[in-house]
Amino acid sequence: MRIACLALVLAATLPACAQETTVRIRSARPFGYFVGDLIHARVDVSAPADAVLSRASLPNPGPLTGSLDLRDVKLSETSENGAHLWRLDLTYQNFYVALDARDIEIPGFELSISTATGARTIAVPAWRIGVSPLREVAPRKQEQASDYLRPDGSSAFVNEATPLNLAFASGAAALLALLLVARDRAWPPFQQRKARIFSALAREISTRRSADDATLAATIQSVHRGLDRANGPILLSGDLPEFLRRHPEFKPLRSDFEQFFETSKRLFFGGESSMDDDCAAEQLAQFVSKLARQERSG
Amino acid sequence: MNETLHVVQKLSDWRVRALEFEQEIQKAVIGQARVVRLVTICIFARGHVLIEGDVGVGKTTLLRSVSRALGGDFARVEGTVDMMPSDILYHTYLGEDGRPRVDPSELLRHAETLPVFFFNEINRARPQVHSLLLRLMAERSVSAFNRVHHFPYLNVFADRNMVEREETFELPAAARDRFLMEILMAAPDDEDARRRLVFDPAFHDTETLLERVNPGTLDYRETPAIARAIQTHVRSSDALERYVLNLWQALVEPSSAGVSLPDVDLDSLVKGGASPRGLAALVRAARVRAWLEGRDYLVPEDVRDVFIEVMAHRIFVDPIHALRGDDIVKRLCRAVFDATPVP
Repeated sequence: MRIACLALVLAATLPACAQETTVRIRSARPFGYFVGDLIHARVDVSAPADAVLSRASLPNPGPLTGSLDLRDVKLSETSENGAHLWRLDLTYQNFYVALDARDIEIPGFELSISTATGARTIAVPAWRIGVSPLREVAPRKQEQASDYLRPDGSSAFVNEATPLNLAFASGAAALLALLLVARDRAWPPFQQRKARIFSALAREISTRRSADDATLAATIQSVHRGLDRANGPILLSGDLPEFLRRHPEFKPLRSDFEQFFETSKRLFFGGESSMDDDCAAEQLAQFVSKLARQERSG
Repeated sequence: MNETLHVVQKLSDWRVRALEFEQEIQKAVIGQARVVRLVTICIFARGHVLIEGDVGVGKTTLLRSVSRALGGDFARVEGTVDMMPSDILYHTYLGEDGRPRVDPSELLRHAETLPVFFFNEINRARPQVHSLLLRLMAERSVSAFNRVHHFPYLNVFADRNMVEREETFELPAAARDRFLMEILMAAPDDEDARRRLVFDPAFHDTETLLERVNPGTLDYRETPAIARAIQTHVRSSDALERYVLNLWQALVEPSSAGVSLPDVDLDSLVKGGASPRGLAALVRAARVRAWLEGRDYLVPEDVRDVFIEVMAHRIFVDPIHALRGDDIVKRLCRAVFDATPVP
């Protein structure tokens, strides 16, 4: 229950023997209640530090008068300036159907406390509130116009740390989810375009100027390594049908592949050294550029 | 020069006859073209063969066809748990006069004319028998009746019982290493061949079936000379030799060659085998394959085509993997080929 401010203070200064005991009653406003309204009151009872409140003496929720119910009682205990402070948050409900603006009484009650000097009672006095018919509000006449004003509600303290942390965590989770979705859908930067092995190889071969046997052999080996990379495992000529099945973009080059493997076989394994290097190098360059073109189209 | 031309011509003629030989065998054994090719390679590489396969897939029919096409004699023994070496060498019986007689066994009697000796269920025989076989295979000779008997044309074909474990004796590593190839023979995949094998009465009677094979398509007495000629005639280039050595290295130290198999620690997988003799056998078989393909030089495909049959049974892996059969070795071999670049 949030009571905005001090609206009504009824300080009961108790008899001499109990000077340390005070009762303070606050309510949101002393007037302007309509039938059915909840009346929130806070009763602060302060007593010596050693005092113990008898819970049995607390008022019980239920009908108080013919037109007033006590709906809820909440008790909290604190210490304040060396005194024991009981804070009673009481919720009444008004059922008085007022035909004109008038005061009704909220009945008082007694609390029992026991201290070192013995048990005694603290009287919480009756207090009054103004009830109004639904049609108009008639506050009691005040001398000062400013007395009609209600103080501003106190601003609630909001701890920003938790929401901020939650915001950051949610942001991070959302980003992670986005990354996972992007990876799954192959959105950039996850689309991972296949490495263009043969384009790079064609550029590399074009830089080789000489056309001797060693260069031709090195070039053929480079093409073999490129084909191995495209295939995964090492590619031998016997694997060609399977390779073309898995890479249909190269199917139109079947005869070029066969010719390449035949050339490679004759050079590396057949011991043939009478190849026309210029012609072979030219054919090889054409083969690689065809591979690069098919690779881009695939 | 003339002599070289003569050898080339002779090898060319013999290649034609070898291909005819394959065709003859395939008249009796259908749907097994690869097995027939491997057996042909073994005959011309002068290597012994361990045939592995289920019962009733045609192993004996294949070997009898080979024997018939080669000409010469055919000897067969069945491995049993109580067999002793003397049972292979000697034939003991009671003569008409009631006295015990010891004569040479079928193997010894046909020593000079025996191209095919079939040892059925070799792992049923005891290690003593294996050791006799070891000498027979390695040296093509045995000692009996106080003299050495030579088997100049002998190829041993053995069959392993893969079903039963009881009363069987696993072949020692040295004996397995003597076999050039271990060939897996399964029922044919081809549906037409399967149908014919089951429904065509011609395949129900082995004796009639064998008559389809033209006897003496090859002359077994010439095979040793041809085998030698093939080995000297088929060349291996530097690149090919480097490739075979790289394969060897990758087999022995797979992880150093970038070979990997899922769920297998390759550092501790290979415990033995992959010997120089094994690699030499690989090259012998690959050369014969190159010759059959009509080339006078080796290419990587020759090596790869015979690799598993020649090498897998010589590679001995950690016992924990050996219990799961030889599948792991075959996977290793394939991974080695996938990771070894060529040329």
